Amino acid sequence: MDKLPGRIAGTFKYFSKLLAGNKKLKVGVAIFTTIIVLAIIEPYVNRLRLGNRSPDEIGLGGSYEPPSPRFPLGTCPWGRDIFGMLLLGTRLTLVIGLLSGIVATAIAVLLGFISAYKGGLIDHALRSFIDAFLVIPTWPIFVIIAAYVKILGLIEISLLLALFSWGGAARIIRAQVLSLKEREFINLAIVSGMRDLEIIFFEILPNFAPYIIISLTNAIMGAIFAETGLRLIGLGPPLLPTLGYLLNLTLSGGFLTIRPYVVAFVSAMLILIFLSLNLINIGLEEEFNPRLKKVTGL
Amino acid sequence: MHPLISYAAKRILTYLLTLFIVVTITFLLFRLIPGDPISSFVGQLQAQGRYAEAEKAQQIIEEYKRMFGLDKDLFSQYILFLKELLRGNLGPSLIGFPRPAQDLIMERLPWTIGLLGISAVIAWALGLVLGCMLGWKRDSAYDKAFTTASLVLSQIPYYLMAVILVLIFTYYLKVLPSGGAYSPKLTPGLYWEFIKSVIEYGTLPALSLIVASGASWLVSSRFLTVTILAEDYLHFAEAKGLKTSRIIKRYILRNALLPQITGLSINLSFMLGGQIVLETIFSYPGIGYLFATAIGLLDYNVINGVLLLIIFTALTANFILDLLYPLIDPRVRYHG
Repeated sequence: MDKLPGRIAGTFKYFSKLLAGNKKLKVGVAIFTTIIVLAIIEPYVNRLRLGNRSPDEIGLGGSYEPPSPRFPLGTCPWGRDIFGMLLLGTRLTLVIGLLSGIVATAIAVLLGFISAYKGGLIDHALRSFIDAFLVIPTWPIFVIIAAYVKILGLIEISLLLALFSWGGAARIIRAQVLSLKEREFINLAIVSGMRDLEIIFFEILPNFAPYIIISLTNAIMGAIFAETGLRLIGLGPPLLPTLGYLLNLTLSGGFLTIRPYVVAFVSAMLILIFLSLNLINIGLEEEFNPRLKKVTGL
Repeated sequence: MHPLISYAAKRILTYLLTLFIVVTITFLLFRLIPGDPISSFVGQLQAQGRYAEAEKAQQIIEEYKRMFGLDKDLFSQYILFLKELLRGNLGPSLIGFPRPAQDLIMERLPWTIGLLGISAVIAWALGLVLGCMLGWKRDSAYDKAFTTASLVLSQIPYYLMAVILVLIFTYYLKVLPSGGAYSPKLTPGLYWEFIKSVIEYGTLPALSLIVASGASWLVSSRFLTVTILAEDYLHFAEAKGLKTSRIIKRYILRNALLPQITGLSINLSFMLGGQIVLETIFSYPGIGYLFATAIGLLDYNVINGVLLLIIFTALTANFILDLLYPLIDPRVRYHG
């Protein structure tokens, strides 16, 4: 194996070349990076604007204040700062998405790998399980659990979301492992006496990074999608003002009538998150699935 | 045995088994949740200050538990639940007490079936046909414009699409209503004005479903068409001098239909769950809105009923598609 720093530099160079070559990937990464930067600087921006007070504090301003230099998007019925909550919501939504996305991808990689690599009865059982998971509407079940289990913090809600969003990713991973398994170099590794785990970690995984990223972005989107939906029907941890919570707040607070652009801003932020992640997905698929690139040809 | 019969028998068995497992899991779901459903409900009422005295609340809990059969052990509860379920009885609703939950659900069901059924069919057919046409005319200006637009649209969750459509059509252009299923001034009945009102109020919720899911159908069927166009049998069909319409109908649509029909069952399960958010946004009086209301008040018989109905529909649709599959795909007929 190469030395680690060399490998990292190589990976970096590889990714920058990849980015330069695909417009969708480039735009997606650019938008998503901007949103992440917004989420990272949120605490500093809001501290600068509001001092030591949180933007979702009740009574920060008056009720339904119009936009002003202090509150660029006005305030909610209870005097909370909507602009600050938009930034805070973006941060929380992304954290929940990333956290549960990573856990869901880990579950998907594990199950997908075991299923495809081992084959036989294990594969059959896992595949039926994954298929059932995709056909049965699991989202209502998630809603029920979220409604009855009252003590949901950031970690708990993320883990719960992860449990419900690994199905699609597991399918992608399984299919890819199956196709990789047939390649010559894997047979070579088996013949040369490598153990299963060694083969999985040193031979299969490195050839697999793009699919893991695709699964990750899928799982992140799935988690954000489910969390926002949960918020729109008025459920979810009230102490976590995510973008979905803010959207529900502005919709039920009558902002559609008085200041519709506030609703538009919140929706736009959510749409940008979904859009950028999807562009990354499509871009990666085009790069690593040449057949797809040839046929879409866009 | 004829391969078709063994195929059907296998599907029927799998279907019944899955149904049984899912019903059991949903039964356990409500029992495994900390605190039984009745106590949660009464706790909710207490939090709202409706029952002040704890002693009285305890009495109510005991009374309800007896009425709902929750005072017996888990296994007899399960048997009772299955028995009543087979008779179509879900037990009394807590919010609509003493009306049974299935009454509340049946009242709302036609709205959901109408809205979801019509928009799902339109989205699917429109996506399939447009996708095939764009694939046929690949790399034309139309293709580039429509496919890119659909790629973007298909990535926007249907509920955000709903919010955007309401913003545009209800609040900026003021041309379409949102909220409810018909004008509150009218009494339901079979007369033109009422039907017109139902269509008017149904347009925006239907449109959000059609745009969001139609766009993704379009993208996938265009992709399929382009893949099929590269196949040898298609070149052969062209070389034979077959008419374009025949090639499109017999060779492309037929082959693109197959994967799109399998996709339909996954899509349906997704849309059924999505109905909960969509109907809530539009205050549309279907089972999705009922579910959201019931869950806000922890009315577990209604919640359980809607959940079972949604899962049953998804599984049954999937089962029917499975049975129809050999009729469309001859390969399944011979290999089972």
